[in-house]
Amino acid sequence: MSAKRAHNEVERETGHGTDLWRVIAAPIIWALHFLFCYVYAAIYCEKAGRAASLDHPTLVVIIATLVALAGIGLSTHHIWGVRARSLTDNDFEFEHNTPEERHRFLSHVALMLCVLSAVAVLYVTIPMLYLSTCR
Amino acid sequence: MTDKAAEERQLARVWAPPRGWRYLTDVNNSVVGLWYIVAAFAFMLFGGALALIIRAQLAVPDNNLVSAETYNQLFTLHGTVMMFLFAVPIFEAVAILILPPMLGARDLPFPRLSAFGFWCFAIGGVFVCGSIFFNAAPDAGWFMYPPLSTEQSGIGADIWLLGLSFIEVASIAAAVELIVGVLKCRAPGMHINLTPLYGWYVLIVGAMILFAFPPLIAGDFLFELERAFNWPFFDVTRGGDPLLWQHLFWIFGHPEVYIVFLPAIALLAMIIPTFAQRPIAGYSWIVLSAIGTGFLSFGLWVHHMFTTGLPAISLGFFSAASEAVAIPTGIQLFVFIATVMLGNVVRTVPMLYCLGALATFIVGGLTGVMVAVAPFDFQVHDTYFIVAHLHYTLIGGMLFPVMAGVQYYYPFATGKMLSRTSGIWSFWLVFIGFNVAFLPMHLTGLLGMPRRVFTYGADRGWDTLNMVSTIGAFVLAAGFLLYVWDCVRPKGKEPNAPRNVWNAGTLEWLGRVPSDNWGLRSIPQINSRYPLWDDKDLLDTIDQGRGLLADAKEGRRETLVTSVLDAEPLQVLRVGTPTWLPMLAAIGLAGVFIFPVWKLWWPTLGSAIFFLAILLYWLWTGTAEIPEKQTKDIGDGRRLPLYVAGPRSTGWWAMFITMTGDLTAFLAVLFGYFFFWTIHPDFPPVGIDGPGWQWPLTAAILAIVTWGATLAARLANAAGYVTLSRALLVAAPVGAVFTGLALMAGPWTTGLDPTAHAYPAIVWGLVVWVVAHLLAGTIMQAYCLARTCFGRLTPRHDADLWNVTLYWHFTGFSALLTALVIGGFPLLQ
Repeated sequence: MSAKRAHNEVERETGHGTDLWRVIAAPIIWALHFLFCYVYAAIYCEKAGRAASLDHPTLVVIIATLVALAGIGLSTHHIWGVRARSLTDNDFEFEHNTPEERHRFLSHVALMLCVLSAVAVLYVTIPMLYLSTCR
Repeated sequence: MTDKAAEERQLARVWAPPRGWRYLTDVNNSVVGLWYIVAAFAFMLFGGALALIIRAQLAVPDNNLVSAETYNQLFTLHGTVMMFLFAVPIFEAVAILILPPMLGARDLPFPRLSAFGFWCFAIGGVFVCGSIFFNAAPDAGWFMYPPLSTEQSGIGADIWLLGLSFIEVASIAAAVELIVGVLKCRAPGMHINLTPLYGWYVLIVGAMILFAFPPLIAGDFLFELERAFNWPFFDVTRGGDPLLWQHLFWIFGHPEVYIVFLPAIALLAMIIPTFAQRPIAGYSWIVLSAIGTGFLSFGLWVHHMFTTGLPAISLGFFSAASEAVAIPTGIQLFVFIATVMLGNVVRTVPMLYCLGALATFIVGGLTGVMVAVAPFDFQVHDTYFIVAHLHYTLIGGMLFPVMAGVQYYYPFATGKMLSRTSGIWSFWLVFIGFNVAFLPMHLTGLLGMPRRVFTYGADRGWDTLNMVSTIGAFVLAAGFLLYVWDCVRPKGKEPNAPRNVWNAGTLEWLGRVPSDNWGLRSIPQINSRYPLWDDKDLLDTIDQGRGLLADAKEGRRETLVTSVLDAEPLQVLRVGTPTWLPMLAAIGLAGVFIFPVWKLWWPTLGSAIFFLAILLYWLWTGTAEIPEKQTKDIGDGRRLPLYVAGPRSTGWWAMFITMTGDLTAFLAVLFGYFFFWTIHPDFPPVGIDGPGWQWPLTAAILAIVTWGATLAARLANAAGYVTLSRALLVAAPVGAVFTGLALMAGPWTTGLDPTAHAYPAIVWGLVVWVVAHLLAGTIMQAYCLARTCFGRLTPRHDADLWNVTLYWHFTGFSALLTALVIGGFPLLQ
C-alpha cells in the first residue's frame, strides 16, 4: 500500500514546532487578559464602592492590554517566518498529505487566531477608555 | 495469501450484534448512536408538546386552559428538556454515530463508556420529564434562579438539580470519548489538516464541554447543599448571594449555546460541500473561526446578567466580547455561502434545510448583536424579544441543521431513503410555521410583554400577535410531525439506497448497503480531505481487504490508534464488547442521584455501593488487559503493540480529560470562596474563627506525602521494585485517609457551623469536595495494589498505575490548594 498523492505535490522543507498548543496560544492570551481585566475591575469596584473613580483600573487595564498585545505579537512573529513562504505561492488550501503541509496549515490557523485575538483584546479594552466611575 | 472470504466471516462473527433481549447490551457505536438519537428526538417531541400547551394557553387573553402553577412547570420543563435532553445530547448522539466511520475507525476508543453515557441520559431524562405527571416538575425557569428556587417548597428544584447533574455525567463521558476519538483514532495518513471539519468541531466542542459543564456541576453541588442541608450559599440573610448562582450558571450557560450551535453547523460543513459538489471554500478559515468562537464564547456569560446591577465597566467588558464573537461566527457563515456560490448546487431536501438554517440563524445572530448592547438589553430583558431572539438562534443554528443532518445521514444510518415530496412539504411547513410563530414575538416583546407570564389582559394590545404566534406554532408542529412520520414509517418493501447515495467525498459514505457491523472492511491509507472524490481506487482497496487490520484472527474487536498530528499508526486498540455492565452501572448511579430528592439516604448509600461494585468489576475484567502477545501484524508489513501505557495510551488521555473537567469544577467552587470575599467587607466575618492554620498545614503536608507515595509507587514498579511499589501502595491510602481527616479537623475543631453563614459553608464545601476525591483516590490506590498482587499489573504493563498517578496529580493539587486557601487566606486579611 503506497502513499498516493491525490494532488500535485510540492515538496517543501519540513518545519517544526507548530502543534495544537501553539495554535491556541493567542486565544489563551486573550482569555487571560479578559479574565484579568474583568476580575480586577470587579474587585476594585466592589471594594472601593460605586462612586470610585476608574483612573487606577484604567491604567492597569491599559498596561495589561500592552502586555497581552506584546505576547500575541511575539506569537505572530514566530509564526510569520513559517507563513511568509506560502504567501508567495498562492496556496491557501493546505490539503496535501505531508507533515510539512500540516505544519503550514497549523501555522496559518495560528496566525489568523493571533489577528482575531488581538482584535478581541482591543475590543475588551475600549469600554475602559470611555467609563470614568464604577457606577 | 489469506482467504479474504474467511476474513470477512471472522469480522462478521467478532462484530456481530447481540440478539434477542441481549440487544440492550450492545455497545457498538452504530447502535448506541441510533438509540441516542431516537431518545433525544423523543424528548424533543415531549418538549415540543409542552410548547404547544404554552402557545394554546397564550392564544387569547385571560385564558384559563392551565393554571399559573402548571404553566410555570410547563415553560420550565420545556426549556430544560430542549436544552439538556435534546440540544446537547443530540450532538453526542450524532457524533457517536458518524464520527468513527468518518475518521476511518471501526469504533470509538471506549464503546462501553458511550453506552454508559446513553443509559445515564435515558434514565435521567425519563426521571426529569416524568415529574410533570406527578405535578412535581421544576417550576422556577430553566435557569433556576435562587432565591425563588431555594425558598419554594416543592421538590421540583431537587429533581432539576439532581436529574440534570446525572445527565451531565453523560455529557462529560461523551466529551472524553469524542476528544480522544478525534485526536487518536483517525485513519493512517489523515493528518490534522485533512481531518473532516466535523472532527474539528467535535474536538472543539468536546474541549468546551470540559470547561463549561463543570461550573454548573459545582453550582449544583452548592445548590443541593443549600436545598438539602440548609448551607446558605445563596441566602442573603446569612451572608450568601444569589448572584453566585447566576455566575456559575451562565459560565456554563453561555458557552453551552455554542456547544449546541457548533456541532450543528458542523453538519452544514459536511452537507454543503457534498451538494455543492466541491471542497469547502475555506477549510482553514472554518477551523480558526471555530476555535476562535470556542474561546470567545467563554467571555459572554455576564450578558445574561446585564440587569443585575453590576458596575457598568463589568457590563462593558462582556458587551465588547459579545460583539467580538460575531466576527468568527460570521466567517463561518460566509464560508458556507461562498461554498454554495462556487459550486453547482444539487437541489435536495437536506440542502433546503441548510439554506433555511443559514437564513434563520442570521436573523437570530443580528438580534444577538442588538441585545449585546447593554442599554438595548435593559429595554428588552425578560421580554418576548429575547424569546424570539433565542428561538431564532437555536432553531436556525441547531434544529434546522440537525434536521438537515437527519435527512442527509438517514440513508447512511438505515440504508433507506426518505421521501423527497414529504421532505419538501415538511420543510416549508416548519420554516413558515416557525417564522409565523416567532417573528411577531419581536414585536410582542417591544410592546412590553414579559416572558413567563401565564396570561395577559385584553387591554394590553398583545392579543393579535399572540394568536398569530400560536397559529404559527401549530403549523410548525404539523411540519415536524410529517417529518417524524417520514422517518419512522415502515420502509421494508422499499429498495435500499445506493452506496454513497449523495456522491459525497468523505469516508463515512464508503460503507456498503445494508451496512456491515464492523464498519470498514479494512482501514485505508488516507491522502486527501475528500478521499472518495480524489482516490478512485480507495473503495476497491478497502473492500478487497487490502488495507490495514483486515482480519480479526484473535476474535477481538480492534481498531487503530494513530498519532495526534500526522496520524501515524501507534497501537492496535482492543475495544469493549457487548455487556450489561454499562446499563447496570448507570442504574446504580441513577440511584445515587435520584434517591436524595426524597432524602432517602440509605437507598442512596446502597446505590452508591452497587455502582462502585459494578464499576470495579467492569474495570477489573474489561480494562488494561495484558495481551497474549506484545505486538500484532496489521498488514502491509507493519507490527504494532497491543498494550500501551502512559501518555501514549487512550486511557491516560481519557483520565487527563476527565480530570481537567473535574479540576474546572473544583476551581468553580474555589471561585465561590473568593466571590464571598469580594462581597463581604470582613472576610472571614467578624466573630467566626476558623479553620485556623495548624490543621490545614498538616493536611497540606500529608497531601504532598500521599501524592508523592503514589508517584513513587509507579516509578518503583516501572523500575522493577515490585515489593517496594506494593508497600507504597499500602502506605498511600493510609496517607490519603489522614489527609482527609486533617482537612476536616480544621473547621471541625474550630466549631465552624456551615448553616450559620456562607463563610463556614464554603469552607466546608471545599473540604467535602476534596475529601470525596481523596476517598475515590484511596479506592484507586487499593485497586492498583490488588492488580499488582493478582499479576494484572506488572512493571511492563502498568497502565492502571499511570492513570491513578495522573488522578493523584490533580487530586493532590486540589487538596494542597484547598489547605492553603482555607488555612492561609484568612491570615492575609
